[in-house]
Amino acid sequence: MTKKTIQANKLLIEQLKLQIGHISGVIETQGQTVFGASKLMSKDEITDFSLEFLELMLVLLETTDPLDHQQSAFHALRAFFGNMSKQIMARGGRMEDFLRYIQFLQRCLIESLEEDHGMKIDEMRAILLLLSAVFNELTLSVFQAYLEEKEGTINAQQEELRETSTPITEIWDGVLTLPIIGTLDSSRTMIVMEALLNRIAAERARAVVMDVTGVRSIDSEVSHHLIQMVRAIQLMGADAILTGIRPEIARALTSLNIDLGNVTTRASLSDGLKEAFRRLGIQVTSAKA
Amino acid sequence: MMSVSGIHLTAIGCGDFLLEPTRSLDISKQGDLIEGVIHRLQRTKARHLYYDLAELPIIDPVYYRWLNALARACQAVNVQMMTIHMQPTAAFALSRSIKEQPCFRSTHDVALRNESYAD
Repeated sequence: MTKKTIQANKLLIEQLKLQIGHISGVIETQGQTVFGASKLMSKDEITDFSLEFLELMLVLLETTDPLDHQQSAFHALRAFFGNMSKQIMARGGRMEDFLRYIQFLQRCLIESLEEDHGMKIDEMRAILLLLSAVFNELTLSVFQAYLEEKEGTINAQQEELRETSTPITEIWDGVLTLPIIGTLDSSRTMIVMEALLNRIAAERARAVVMDVTGVRSIDSEVSHHLIQMVRAIQLMGADAILTGIRPEIARALTSLNIDLGNVTTRASLSDGLKEAFRRLGIQVTSAKA
Repeated sequence: MMSVSGIHLTAIGCGDFLLEPTRSLDISKQGDLIEGVIHRLQRTKARHLYYDLAELPIIDPVYYRWLNALARACQAVNVQMMTIHMQPTAAFALSRSIKEQPCFRSTHDVALRNESYAD
């Protein structure tokens, strides 16, 4: 760390301590305008935020090297902004507003320096560089937290979609149906199989009708996963019946040299259910008969 | 109840036998184990052997080979071997590792198998 930076720190700390009341007031007012008007934060929260921000900033500047990203003071400030951005996003706030508010905080600190006419250009330059380095890092952290949040939401939605796209239904005592729509990649196969095998064990299912009418295309990976599912069902002590194989899928299976010789297949879900009932010795007759 | 080292073999009626492996089962002595089990099954004119997998959360390829070998030996003496109580974790892992149809069949448990179930 250079002499100039140490000097800049000291000057900045002095300025902050001298004008802390004024700076805090300005930050609070701006906070009310940005977050208070849209009811994203209460008045008390904004006051707490302003005070905590200045306190954490002072702690950081008092360290030997404020630009050392590994130190606890920097982690604390970064975590503070990360948590706040998550809170704002969770309440429906916009990332853009929050980033503009961070820029405002930086400008506010710089403006407080302008009122000190005795400061040399070199000192001012060092302070500006220090502030911009710290705030750039904070902005990046906030943006990273935002991306993580978004990624988490997308992953959760994908997970939900995967689960709802393969509903396992007990259509009759001991008979489960599993309509497969879309494609069967490795991760989806794992989710479906885990749910299906646990369901077979829990319901003591004796037949599983897997309907692939909704599978648009098939490749060696998908067919391998289908066979794997059939085998797992059989190992659990249930019969697997594959239904809804469309002509283009049948053609693809032949091209891929996939042997479904050990798998019971039926044209439609209805035929598959009839086969399951037959195997279980169940007869469904009309009430009028 | 009859006992082969590491195995509890119990007659459960109508030519059915229940095989419960214990912790001391040493499948490296596969030949001796098969001989012992088959000897007892033949002596009592057994028709079905139910192999209880309730205590096995994972079946590795070595254990799978043991199950297949025992099932083949049973077939040779006209006894049908069926595994019961296969755990979902074991079925999942096994379905990923095996390439061919196992020599044994699976069912939930003995009671279910004995219900009228048209094959």
